[in-house]
Amino acid sequence: MNEQRAPLAHFVSDEPFEPNRVEPMSAAQERYYRASQWRMMWWKLRRHRVAVVSGAILALLYLSTLVSEILAPYGAHSRHTDFIFAPPQQVHLFDQGRFVGPFVYGFDYRLDMDNLKRVYTPNPKLVQPIRFLCLGDAYDFWGLIPGRFHLVCPTENGTLFLLGTDRLGRDMLSRVIYGTRISLTIGLIGISISFTLGIVIGGLAGYYGGWVDAITQRVIEIIRSFPELPLWMALSAALPVTWSPLWVYFGITLILGLLDWTGLARAVRSKFLALREEDFATAAVLMGASTRRVIFRHLLPSFLSHLIASATVSIPSMILGETALSFLGLGLRSPITSWGVLLNEAQNINVVALYPWLMLPVIPVFTVVLAFNFFGDGLRDAADPYR
Amino acid sequence: MFGYTVHRLLVMIPTLLAISLIVFIIIQLPPGDYLSTYMAELQAQGEAVNPQKLAYLREMYGLDRPAWQQYLYWVWGLLHGDMGYSFAYNLPVTQVVGDRLWLTFIVSVTCILFTWVVAFPIGIYSATHQYSWSDYGLTFLGFVGLATPNFLLALVMLYLANTWLGISIGGLMDDRFIDAPWSLAKFWSVLAHLWIPVIVIGTSGTAGMIRRLRANLLDELQKQYVVTARAKGLSPFRTLMKYPLRMSLNPFIADIGTLLPHVISGSAIVSVVLSLPTTGPMLLDALRAQDMYLAGSFLMCMALLTVLGVFLSDLALAALDPRIRLGAGSAK
Amino acid sequence: MIRALPVMLALAALLVGGQAQALNYIETPALADDVAAGRLPPIAERVPAEPAIETGRPGQPGGELRVLIGSARDTRLLAIIGYARLMAYTPSYDLVPDMLAGVDQKEQRIYTLHLRPGHRWSDGEPFTAEDFRYWWEDVANNEMLSPTGPPVALLREGEKPKVEVLDPLTVRYSWSAPMPTFLALLANASPITIYRPAHYLKQFHAKYADKAKLAALVADAHARNWAQLHNRMDNPVRNDNPDLPTLDPWVLKTKPPSERFVFERNPFYYRVDREGRQLPYIDRINAAVADSKIIPVKVGAGEADLQSRYLRFDNYTFLKAGEARNGYRVRLWKTGYGSQLALYPNLNVNDPVWRSLLRDVRFRRALSLAIDRHEINNVVYYGLAHEGQDTMLPGSPLYDEHNSTAWAAYDPAGARRLLDELGLTKRNGEGIRLLPDGRPLQIVVETAGTVAEEGDVLELIRDNWREVGIKLFAKPLQIELMHNRIFGGETMMSIDRGLENGLANAEMSPAVLAPTLQASWQWPRWGQYFETHGMSGEAPDMPMATELMNLARDWMNASDFEARQSIWKRMLAIRADRVLTIGLVAEVPQPVVVSDQLRNVPEQGIYNFDPGAFFGVYKPDRFWFVPEAPADQPS
Repeated sequence: MNEQRAPLAHFVSDEPFEPNRVEPMSAAQERYYRASQWRMMWWKLRRHRVAVVSGAILALLYLSTLVSEILAPYGAHSRHTDFIFAPPQQVHLFDQGRFVGPFVYGFDYRLDMDNLKRVYTPNPKLVQPIRFLCLGDAYDFWGLIPGRFHLVCPTENGTLFLLGTDRLGRDMLSRVIYGTRISLTIGLIGISISFTLGIVIGGLAGYYGGWVDAITQRVIEIIRSFPELPLWMALSAALPVTWSPLWVYFGITLILGLLDWTGLARAVRSKFLALREEDFATAAVLMGASTRRVIFRHLLPSFLSHLIASATVSIPSMILGETALSFLGLGLRSPITSWGVLLNEAQNINVVALYPWLMLPVIPVFTVVLAFNFFGDGLRDAADPYR
Repeated sequence: MFGYTVHRLLVMIPTLLAISLIVFIIIQLPPGDYLSTYMAELQAQGEAVNPQKLAYLREMYGLDRPAWQQYLYWVWGLLHGDMGYSFAYNLPVTQVVGDRLWLTFIVSVTCILFTWVVAFPIGIYSATHQYSWSDYGLTFLGFVGLATPNFLLALVMLYLANTWLGISIGGLMDDRFIDAPWSLAKFWSVLAHLWIPVIVIGTSGTAGMIRRLRANLLDELQKQYVVTARAKGLSPFRTLMKYPLRMSLNPFIADIGTLLPHVISGSAIVSVVLSLPTTGPMLLDALRAQDMYLAGSFLMCMALLTVLGVFLSDLALAALDPRIRLGAGSAK
Repeated sequence: MIRALPVMLALAALLVGGQAQALNYIETPALADDVAAGRLPPIAERVPAEPAIETGRPGQPGGELRVLIGSARDTRLLAIIGYARLMAYTPSYDLVPDMLAGVDQKEQRIYTLHLRPGHRWSDGEPFTAEDFRYWWEDVANNEMLSPTGPPVALLREGEKPKVEVLDPLTVRYSWSAPMPTFLALLANASPITIYRPAHYLKQFHAKYADKAKLAALVADAHARNWAQLHNRMDNPVRNDNPDLPTLDPWVLKTKPPSERFVFERNPFYYRVDREGRQLPYIDRINAAVADSKIIPVKVGAGEADLQSRYLRFDNYTFLKAGEARNGYRVRLWKTGYGSQLALYPNLNVNDPVWRSLLRDVRFRRALSLAIDRHEINNVVYYGLAHEGQDTMLPGSPLYDEHNSTAWAAYDPAGARRLLDELGLTKRNGEGIRLLPDGRPLQIVVETAGTVAEEGDVLELIRDNWREVGIKLFAKPLQIELMHNRIFGGETMMSIDRGLENGLANAEMSPAVLAPTLQASWQWPRWGQYFETHGMSGEAPDMPMATELMNLARDWMNASDFEARQSIWKRMLAIRADRVLTIGLVAEVPQPVVVSDQLRNVPEQGIYNFDPGAFFGVYKPDRFWFVPEAPADQPS
């Protein structure tokens, strides 16, 4: 039964032990051990394919907000009274077997007076090639520098409605592109407000404990036990009437941020409570570090990655919050274009039944929310690099 | 344990007081009051408004008193169980809220059950098959509900349900059943109408739950005792179910308390779109019209339920988890 | 026409009286059981001895009408649409007695109202002059129930009418000066009800009720005092008390709160058709509550038999698509506003620079000329609306094409010329003109969103005005906030509906054309001055305003039709010439959805609140269902 098995290979070297000898490390091992915390996070994140893709998408979208005016085929407010509620135009490459390059077919327009419907039929005889790197509608780049340069434009006197038009004849693709700027930045500003509040308040509560902690707990409990709707309504109604849309926009980000910090604060607080007892914290205190230094230099970095991950996931809730506010009539309104405004305009039965392309702004919202969530997931998984 | 309970109960009182103050401020924050809204509404229909009548009505409704007096009057009534009188409906608040509360309860509970039923299997599967394509696929599905704005989804589903399935638009049941006594047909009608809001509201909650369950489970599954159990030959299923799952349920019990305002809030917008006779649309209307008693008393009730819920779940957690009972975190 | 009123009324009374005896009544099938069981008297005793006779084509009784309302408060709509009034407007806006058997008037200041003998309330109690007396003495003039006194509309420059009960069927109202608006007041869509069911309300009145019983009722209802209880129970306009007896064709049967309100026929209704059937034809009205945004969807799915409220013009295409499948047809009536949307420059604005600019007629004319109404018509209304100023519509006898087109053509060059004339020649970097004090010429138009297309129309106007160097900034606000700002003089311009009544004739009061109401967005302070008899607000300090006030006063004192008509014409001419409001488009089509089973609903009509009462003037009590059951509801 007990057959002699071959001795197991083992990895203990027979050589005599020399305590002063240095173990040579391969280049890869060296890099690994010398890497900073952030670099290790990055390596781990890289392996999470979906997170990388999501991150790339987000980066692209944010970069696009810098050059929205150039990307959009039309200006932000250009109207075409002859093309109201036009359906999306398809891009073709071949016209009757002949390669023409990207183009669209022009529209024939007829007003159906019985049903009061505008009927658009693509006319195969009207070939309208798309122009690239061209001069189109005038705009003010970031509101400052006038320009006319666009990445794509329609043919002269032609149309290029890749996502159709709305009830005033405005190109939906352009509106979505301009809306990206507002919707994405709302999230960023809002998150920075709630982030700051969450860290400061949660940190103080966690670090000092005692009655500071008790009061903070109660305040957090009170805010969390509130349904958001009344708070939104009250705060939005309190925004002064005379403010310009831009200030209203900032006010709204402030509101969204103010109502969001509680989750973060609780996480920070519990982490602080735990980490406070760690040896390295005690050591720092014993060595005479001030409270501020202990918090910011020692405690905070150990879980900053977690915070960033949860912050990343809060951004989509701000974007969705903005759309919800628009629905309630409290958020941004025309002439400001944001995804929330576009979705609110799509919120009626005429759109759902007759002009469904006006609901397409749902796709960017959807994509961004998903991207943020997956990216945040990846960040969180990568946040603990030693696992 | 007893001391903890008493301490928490005592702390609840100032909390509720603070909440009542906040609620009152929230309702009074927008400029004007119920009457100015009402007058404006009348004027929008071309009815001339007599400013003296306005003053008389103001006195009748008690809106001429200073704010702090109105507040005390209201709180005094609440303590006596009198929720006040709704201006807009011309009825006591309890009557206005009454039936709606039941329906809200039904919708909310169904949504929560739906969320759990969907999220649990997906969360567990995701955690155990991390980074696989099915993990991504299922998480994606879970996120669909979260990522799509509810109001638009509700409207689209409403329209499609009518054109494809012939379900009548909006409401929780066909019009003809509204005042009729309960019958099988009425029950079926309610079910036929219920699934749209449940799906729309429920799916937005699944994503969060999936992610949290997955995260907690992942944390637990890395722990030593799981590895030991596996090494000792315990079947994977039992390994999963018997220990880590129970540990990862901690946050859910903790969150039950705050579930209520979330569901009520989240369902409010969908209820407006779908025209459900629940408390959401009623609350929105009351806030817009500054119908002080209706909005205020209702919010206070919800806050009370939430605070109680948090308290009870904390109690449950303390009973289950000795670390909390003995008070984690020493004073500095 | 009121000038021929005495003669006509006498004739009418004769006809009615004569015919009543000749009619053989046909019992209402729905009430036959109750009559047989003795719960209701037979039809001959339910109908007044001299009922009002509907002369149109008769129909069949029966059926249930489904309508959709936006909230429980909309039960008041049934009282409006039922349009049971002492005096009523006909579809051509003539004023005739309706519930009254007849009216005598002398010098337009002494009105003697004759009730119909045998006219009863919906609970069977007689409707007599006592109900009028109760209201006047015990409600309108009771310190506790009406601390501000009787309705202002009944006062002739502060003087109350003298109300006398001559006999159980006759009441007389007299003033010392002419009160030509009295009868029209009784025909309002939302009327001044000068009578109440005394027999029912007395139980809530301290003067008549048993003290102990009243105290118990007050305590039960958590009311502050008996006055509050009485007012709560007595709300004929609000129509939310099923126990309150009424004279309307349908009576509320459901106690609020509810998601569905049922109204049943009034067994004691005062109108009958030519063949002796008691109206209304329709047995029951079923009003389901739904969110206003979802009502077009429900209507498109066939869930309403007669609906126009909450339907907008842009729903037409969607509704039309559902016609064949759901058994209804969409008709397009017209709205009766002087203008669907109009801009109201606030002549009482606080800012002195803006005040002088807005008061300069050339500025208002320029603003009006710069607007391309044709584009607005095409973009928003498919070219179906009528472009012009905010004045009388082509359907009104006072219509004057000159008034409609004054300063309403699209003439940006002319606008620029006027603006240059005003000295606004300096421009800033954007091309916007500058005010004399250097600020850019930016007009902030405040809107409350009452009309859905406002946003779009303002976008179009923004581009139009930009062409002539004016910047427009639209500011959406909550409605009461906007009102407060307008009254306080902080708003420089607002947008809202135009004249409520674009189909007036010379017999109707022109008061709205003069500064008599605070709720006029172009001159709120002057209006407030008039309404409060000089206690607050500002006295009109422009000659145009004073002239309008004088003309309005003259109209009240005018003795004949010609005088009134010329006053109206003069006021309309001033309005058009001075561009007091900037009208845009009018006669916007209004979708009216009618079930295929419903008859007697006019193909073409005007959908207007006052006059018109929405469907009121077309007398919904004569709408009837073809005997098959209405289209099956979806499951």
